[in-house]
Amino acid sequence: MAKKNSRPNDDVNGNVNLSPMIDCCFLLLIFFVVNATQITVAKDPSVKMPSAVSCSDLKDANGCIVVNVFSDTDKMAPKALEKYSKDYPPGSLWGVADANGRSIGYNTGQVQELTDFIKKQKETFKGKGLEDGKIRLYLRGDMAAPWERSSTAIRCAAAAGVTNIVFGTLPSK
Amino acid sequence: MARHKQIQTEQQEDPEMNISSMIDCCFLLLIYFLVATSLVSEKKLDISIPASAQSASSQKPPVDPGRIVLQADGSATWNGDMTVADPYNPEAEPGTSEYRSQRELEQLVEQLKNYKDLASSVQAEPVVMLTGAPSAPHQRIVDIMAALAEAGIKSVGISTADTGSD
Repeated sequence: MAKKNSRPNDDVNGNVNLSPMIDCCFLLLIFFVVNATQITVAKDPSVKMPSAVSCSDLKDANGCIVVNVFSDTDKMAPKALEKYSKDYPPGSLWGVADANGRSIGYNTGQVQELTDFIKKQKETFKGKGLEDGKIRLYLRGDMAAPWERSSTAIRCAAAAGVTNIVFGTLPSK
Repeated sequence: MARHKQIQTEQQEDPEMNISSMIDCCFLLLIYFLVATSLVSEKKLDISIPASAQSASSQKPPVDPGRIVLQADGSATWNGDMTVADPYNPEAEPGTSEYRSQRELEQLVEQLKNYKDLASSVQAEPVVMLTGAPSAPHQRIVDIMAALAEAGIKSVGISTADTGSD
């Protein structure tokens, strides 16, 4: 009989109140969802980003055609060089990612191919209903890359009909 | 009466919902976003290249475009004669006064603000032509773009020194 009486007490003590944990979990989830949507452009670690004093947040990455501009390999950090060598053919000056996330490198002799890629991306965005003004070239130039390479990428974008340019930067320390 | 009693006993039972699967999903999403989020977010500087339709106009603009010439060493001049940026020093450590002055380019910002006021007084859009030496570092271009953004100028014509304008 005594054993029978102890059963209900055990049942009462076994319940854990999960509601505060669920509250915290939801708060964290909302925080990370909001932060994750801020930047959706592909970040290539082979590029060491320049810093700028008057820069603003990239609120909407939709319509951004990302082009990476590389510096000379002797100026790259070991990790960046390793990633660059793995992803791009030797001599690549510009790097992009296609719709499947595959890295494509272009060298000085492939300027027309880069223009065609930008044009194709532009058409893809237009097909999704984006206006011309919202389609932008997102230039991720390495801080040590010569200006000639960045200006060539801008020229390719202009030839493809993309006149809004966004320079990718990091906030200045 | 009997029916009323039966309903009351059903209401007294605590309705329990099984939320364990929801918690599982919630945790999965939390872990996904935790891994996918990068807290050091990249920033941006917007510029707009004057489109060919605008430049095709034969009318002379009310104010001449401002001209910035960037040399290979990173120094820059405004309208041909005034030096507005010292040579670029890639060794400058972040946080030092030298690094700050390298990034801020106060003289250039001042000149650009004056130019913008001049253009606003005749209701014209301020346009700046930026000519850079082919080997000038990209960081210096970004410094100049930041100065343009600080002055509120968004329309920038870009060219390289030896290949002509875009």
